[in-house]
Amino acid sequence: MAFESDLLALLPRLRRFALSLSRDATDGDDLCQMAVERALKSRDQWQPGTRLDSWMFRIMRNLWIDEVRMRGRRDRTFAPEEAGATVGDDGDRRIEMALEVTDVGRAMDRLPPEQREAIALVLVEGFAYREAAEILDIPMGTLTSRLVRGREALMRELGEAA
Amino acid sequence: MTIDRETLMAYADGELDELTRRRVEQAIADDPALAAQVEADRALRARISGHYAGVADQPVPDRLRALLDSNVHEITDARPMRQPVRRWVMNAAAIAATLIIGVFVGREMGDAGPFRTTGDMLVAQGALARALDTQLASSQSASAATRIGVSFRGVDGGYCRTFSSGKLDGLACRTEQGWILRNMANGEGQAIPEYRQAGSMNPALLAAAQAMMVGDPLDAAAEQAARDGHWR
Repeated sequence: MAFESDLLALLPRLRRFALSLSRDATDGDDLCQMAVERALKSRDQWQPGTRLDSWMFRIMRNLWIDEVRMRGRRDRTFAPEEAGATVGDDGDRRIEMALEVTDVGRAMDRLPPEQREAIALVLVEGFAYREAAEILDIPMGTLTSRLVRGREALMRELGEAA
Repeated sequence: MTIDRETLMAYADGELDELTRRRVEQAIADDPALAAQVEADRALRARISGHYAGVADQPVPDRLRALLDSNVHEITDARPMRQPVRRWVMNAAAIAATLIIGVFVGREMGDAGPFRTTGDMLVAQGALARALDTQLASSQSASAATRIGVSFRGVDGGYCRTFSSGKLDGLACRTEQGWILRNMANGEGQAIPEYRQAGSMNPALLAAAQAMMVGDPLDAAAEQAARDGHWR
């Protein structure tokens, strides 16, 4: 099926955006899986001829917002997950996305989420401003001001020489 | 002429229309500070995108590919669409699985459990061994105490089968000694009722099976032939 194979081809980029959003390899892959499952369920809503990548990134980003909201509630109910974090995950054989903790990673981590997602879409994923604004469902002016603030924060963190 | 910060950034990102672009180029030519800002914007973009470039080159985990790749659909197709198990749930499952091993092996000393120990291996015995020997996924009763999932040829040549037996999901492979437990996970629906799905198998276990599998899972005919040949 063309839809499935197109999604398959998008997976590496979806994982990357999921990592930018969640800043955690495992959460990123869980998010990726949810987004793919949602897309398969809602495939009727995708209009052929429009960009599948924009549609997918939008699904993923909305799922992540829901997830963050849900965690806000859950974290008040459950003990920290680190409690069992090192217990037998062997059978899982998940391949972790190894992203070195570097200056860039730390600087991205410190951005407010709305600036980080704008930066990720435009600077990392290469979307045009208009496409990024549509994915995020915000006006162009809002997108550009988030990009400017995000960029300036990154330059401050990384030094003027960037 | 003043160029605002947004416009300058849009220039660096190649976002401006022809007319505005020329206007900005004019301004840059007259003002080295503007030129430096454009340089900084471009350098930052290159550095950030370079940082993430490698992520997209890394292999995509099987559990994600299996959602979309028909070559690995046989396993995942059978189970209903589900939310991925969240990490804290997986941890709970892992802890529970560890406890289960303790319980089963402990009980096994009285020779009543589903496994006996041989060297450092766990070998199926009793009802579980019988189910692995004789039960066919294609014809098993819905109420069977042990449910067989998928059967396949493993990378080391022998047959392997996944099973669900109450509290335990497992993966066992046939050797000279019998059915050796190769992997296990907490059976769903015990500690985690909200994640229960009839007939579904722990996703970590499915991923483990996927990693060990040579070719496709056995279909009904191949499964029966393998059983009739005593899994040799």
